[in-house]
Amino acid sequence: MTNSAIFFVLVLLALVAFATARQRSLRVVDGDTAKLHSLPRHYGYFAATCVLVPGLLVLALWLMFGKSIIEGLVVNGLPDAIQAEYADRITLLLNRIRLVVENASTQETNVDILAAAERFHSLYLKGLWAAFSLSASFGLVGLYTAINRTKADFRARNVFERVLNALLILSSVIAIATTLGIVGSLLFESLRFFAEVPLGDFLFGLKWSPQTALRADQVGASGSFGAVPLFAGTFMISLLAMLVAGPIGLMSAIYLTQYASTRMRRIAKPALEILAGVPTVVYGFFAALTIAPLFRDTGEFLGLDIASESALAAGFVMGIMIIPFVSSLSDDAITAVPRSLRDGSLALGATPSETITKVLVPAALPGIVGAFLLAISRAVGETMIVVMAAGMQPNLTANPFEAVTTVTVQIVALLTGDQEFDSAKTLSAFALGLVLFVITMGLNIFALRIVRKYREAYD
Amino acid sequence: MKKFTLAAAVLGAVALGATGAHAQSRDQIRIVGSSTVFPFSTAVAEEFGRTTSFKTPIVESTGTGGGLKLFCAGVGTGHPDITNASRRIKKSEVDQCTQNGVNGIIEVKIGFDGIVVAASKDAEPMTLTLRDLYLALAAKVPAPGTDGGEANLIDNPYTTWAEVNPDLPNRKIEVLGPPPTSGTRDAFDELAIEGGCVTFSGNKAMAKSNSKLFKAACHGLREDGAYIEAGENDNLIVQKLQANTNAIGVFGFSFLDQNADVIQGFPISHDDMAAVEPTFDDIASGAYPISRSLYFYVKKAHIGVVPGIREFLSEFTSDKAWGDLGYLADRGLIPLPEDERAKVEADAANLNELKLD
Amino acid sequence: MSDNADFRPTDWGSDKMQARLRNRYRKERTFRVAGFAAVIAAGLFLVSLLFSIVRDGSMGFLQTSVDLDVTFSAEILGDPRAMTPEAFDEGVRRVNMQRLLLSALTDYFPEATSRRDQRALLKLVSTGARDQLRQMVLDKPDIVGTKQTVRLLAADDIDQLRKGKIDADAHENDRKVKDQELGWYKKLVADDRISLNFHTEFLTSGDSREPELAGIWGATVGSALTLMVTLLIAFPVGVLTAIYLEEFAPKNRITDFIEVNINNLAAVPSIVFGLLGLALFLGVMNLPRSAPLVGGLTLALMTLPTIIIASRASIKAVPPSIRDAARGLGASPMQVVFHHVVPLAMPGILTGTIIGMAQALGETAPLLMIGMVAFIVDIPGGVTDAATALPVQIYLWADSPERAFVEKTSAAIMVLLAFLIAMNGVAIWLRQKFERHW
Repeated sequence: MTNSAIFFVLVLLALVAFATARQRSLRVVDGDTAKLHSLPRHYGYFAATCVLVPGLLVLALWLMFGKSIIEGLVVNGLPDAIQAEYADRITLLLNRIRLVVENASTQETNVDILAAAERFHSLYLKGLWAAFSLSASFGLVGLYTAINRTKADFRARNVFERVLNALLILSSVIAIATTLGIVGSLLFESLRFFAEVPLGDFLFGLKWSPQTALRADQVGASGSFGAVPLFAGTFMISLLAMLVAGPIGLMSAIYLTQYASTRMRRIAKPALEILAGVPTVVYGFFAALTIAPLFRDTGEFLGLDIASESALAAGFVMGIMIIPFVSSLSDDAITAVPRSLRDGSLALGATPSETITKVLVPAALPGIVGAFLLAISRAVGETMIVVMAAGMQPNLTANPFEAVTTVTVQIVALLTGDQEFDSAKTLSAFALGLVLFVITMGLNIFALRIVRKYREAYD
Repeated sequence: MKKFTLAAAVLGAVALGATGAHAQSRDQIRIVGSSTVFPFSTAVAEEFGRTTSFKTPIVESTGTGGGLKLFCAGVGTGHPDITNASRRIKKSEVDQCTQNGVNGIIEVKIGFDGIVVAASKDAEPMTLTLRDLYLALAAKVPAPGTDGGEANLIDNPYTTWAEVNPDLPNRKIEVLGPPPTSGTRDAFDELAIEGGCVTFSGNKAMAKSNSKLFKAACHGLREDGAYIEAGENDNLIVQKLQANTNAIGVFGFSFLDQNADVIQGFPISHDDMAAVEPTFDDIASGAYPISRSLYFYVKKAHIGVVPGIREFLSEFTSDKAWGDLGYLADRGLIPLPEDERAKVEADAANLNELKLD
Repeated sequence: MSDNADFRPTDWGSDKMQARLRNRYRKERTFRVAGFAAVIAAGLFLVSLLFSIVRDGSMGFLQTSVDLDVTFSAEILGDPRAMTPEAFDEGVRRVNMQRLLLSALTDYFPEATSRRDQRALLKLVSTGARDQLRQMVLDKPDIVGTKQTVRLLAADDIDQLRKGKIDADAHENDRKVKDQELGWYKKLVADDRISLNFHTEFLTSGDSREPELAGIWGATVGSALTLMVTLLIAFPVGVLTAIYLEEFAPKNRITDFIEVNINNLAAVPSIVFGLLGLALFLGVMNLPRSAPLVGGLTLALMTLPTIIIASRASIKAVPPSIRDAARGLGASPMQVVFHHVVPLAMPGILTGTIIGMAQALGETAPLLMIGMVAFIVDIPGGVTDAATALPVQIYLWADSPERAFVEKTSAAIMVLLAFLIAMNGVAIWLRQKFERHW
């Protein structure tokens, strides 16, 4: 008997419930489905839900709490001396017991522990059987109720749809909770940071120099936590990336949806999507060892002074990486525009390019803007390419030929460095994250406005 | 739809089956910590797994600070047993440990890591003093002709090595090195830059009179592009050096050791002593000026509960691992002197606890 | 009718109109060429990237071996005929196989007599050779007492030499392999004992610190398990959320705020999701560290916004007329959504999923926080075993000092890309099945 066996039994029971309820609903009306309130399969769905929900609930409770209850029982059964010895490190004691249970250790000699292991084992088995019988009987009760309620005037579809609705809401709650969790944790840690470093210094300071502030005696030294260079760097690199990905991505999407043959599109679209999946380390090496020297040599040839670590190289390669974000999502948006619009425009004598720019793109605008936003987001969030190709130097410059760094790079460096933890330095990572969040939020709201203003809703 | 449901059910069952394994003891050592010690720790872990009946330990590369944070978070199977560190544990961290019930930490010093200053084989060789490094890389340097001190510090004006020291080639200062969040950078600042800084009598005096300014002056590196923070991937620095013969890199000795055919390490000297090449023997003897110690820390409370910790300790401190001819030396770890090794080994075997003074 | 007296049909033949037409057609051509150029440019980037990966990586699948005549002496191994099989196995497990290797090597190179030379000799073959020999004896105890030509893995330096990555003509000080070893190597080559073969172990074994023993299978399984969890969580939750927010949720300030926030999540640095995963799954739920289960859940949090955004956009793009028609025929709101809107929106939803999963497959930063950036030799057997993932493996190998890891890194990238293509293939097939024009 294992947990997955319980699960299987429940699924099996649900299938039985589905079939029985469906049959029964047909029998109730002697095969004349018009007399039923809902379709026969709705009665089946309803019955399956009645079995699964209580059964899975029991299983979930067992999975969540079963183990800790057994552990508590076993530990309480041990002599006080051992309990006292492991007072604040119960998991270690439990590990000793578990090792014996699994026979992974042959070194255990303590009789009490050996006895506890024995007890643990038997309790676990008992618990498992209890969980099984409980969830199975709950399932059976559900099955019985569902079959009993299968009558011609029972509104099975409505009930089932209410369950579906609950599921939809549950999912949304998960997504929203994630959002709140992220925002909350950023906010909470940022407040701790701003207790040490004034907000003004952070937002408007022109010098980001964590190394002077890293020392314990210099925490919060004024001027070293100025985030402006980081945001300027992020802005520049994202802009460069979008200059590459925007036109190439959008034009590819247009070409593939409007001009290319179906065969070409079938090959090209997935091929471009590979670009999004190449690990960023690869892009990092590509940027640092192929593109950056290429740019430097070209620059030398043209009389420009391009540093080996330049925003240009990082931005360019990042642009390549996010092409599929723009192209694939725009592609879908353009494809989804009703064909009648396109045909209508063409029939009125517009050339394909006029149709595209004046009809298709405005109609697909929400999708296209969404694609751009996602691409920008990805560019902002990328670290590896920047670290490898543009360095980690927080320069405040508008010159794309120089080294810059981005907010995300600093966040990762601050959170994974070799330094002492719980200093203003580590906390500053959250403050950076929060400001980044606020900025992208502004961007999103702005984009929403744009879409509302220029979107042409047809159909 | 039905197919999807069926597939979801099967996958769900598989997932449950995997989570619901009976009791789930932890029979595997868990190690976290420094990325510098990572190659050595993993080598020992692999050998340990291969030659004993214990499972191969899991070694995470989290950085020294991150590793100590995890290590000090508490005692229990949810916390790591060992953490690697490229610097010694700090008082504040020991306090944090104690606060969370982590008493009894065993410190094992495993050897040295030399920090080399290197360039492409095609570059013109240079012999550097710590003073040259300081003058070339510090953010604030003494005005030419002065001996430093608070009044005489100016923003670093040098753009070529020849300006720093007429004996050096006339080559742009372009140094690729670790970012401030890295332990290698800490050691470089402390040993090389501060070492050069105190050769100016004015600066040296500042250490007593104004220690805050002293640290800022003697640890702060330039941010005007001469020193490039190149991230933690030393392989990348090596490859960048090959592509750009003007550039000089700062990184760990093992990368020089592995790439000796394409890059050269520059000899470094204290001002009054002869220059020393970054070789295995000279780092081991302590003659090479920029090297730091590497450590790992063991939670005593876990010994005897998580199987194999004691055996892992003895594998790490055995001669075939960390000896002069051991397999760690092959990977670039510079061993401790023999008598110190014997002492650390004995301490580890007796599980003597760390005492910071 | 009188005010229409001035009306004349457009004279399409007039010069003005002809010029306008020419102009419009020229614009059309330029636009078309620009589109084609964009596709070609993107394609070129892809090809050059793939080319550089394959060029560096193909060697990683090959491995140099050395053929040696090994005498399986009964003195060292024990005589299987003189004892029980169990005792023999036990003895073999404890024997130092280095002795077999050393005698085979010194037989072949009798000139190496000093301890120092013998140590250098042993470095010609991989440390894995010991286990290879041990396994041979355990599999076939009859082998004891015979002399066999065994194909053993060469050490990484010899491998690099064979592959031309170490320049044999360089000055001794400038290369990793010294003259003495080079001489031995040349003798082995002259006797045709060095060979370069396809290295299956690379595809079937776990990580190792020895480049010639390191394999990618552990990381591949880890990635597969992680992504399975991610898909199981992120896809249903993401799509259902998108449906709810787009079709059922009331449209007001609160839902607007939620929408903006979810869009925003895509720009949160991925490491922050790692922190959330650390706090939630390891801290609150006490799940095991380094487990694909936790990694998958964390990556699901990260992929969720991508899937939600893409799904919402494509649900929004389904023409209202379809909903109205279904409603008009008596479908309930749920039936409208699940029978009509979702199937039509499926291509866009799948694109979002493909991109989200591809991102999850390539991500390392959040995994760092939950302990999956680690050296793990054992191949994970389930979602709660400690595991690592393909991009992590690539990241760790890329940072290893040993030169031979460079080609292993590229080879691992090739494996990752193959994985990606296989994964996307399924989704793309589904997408093309669902794609409709109307």
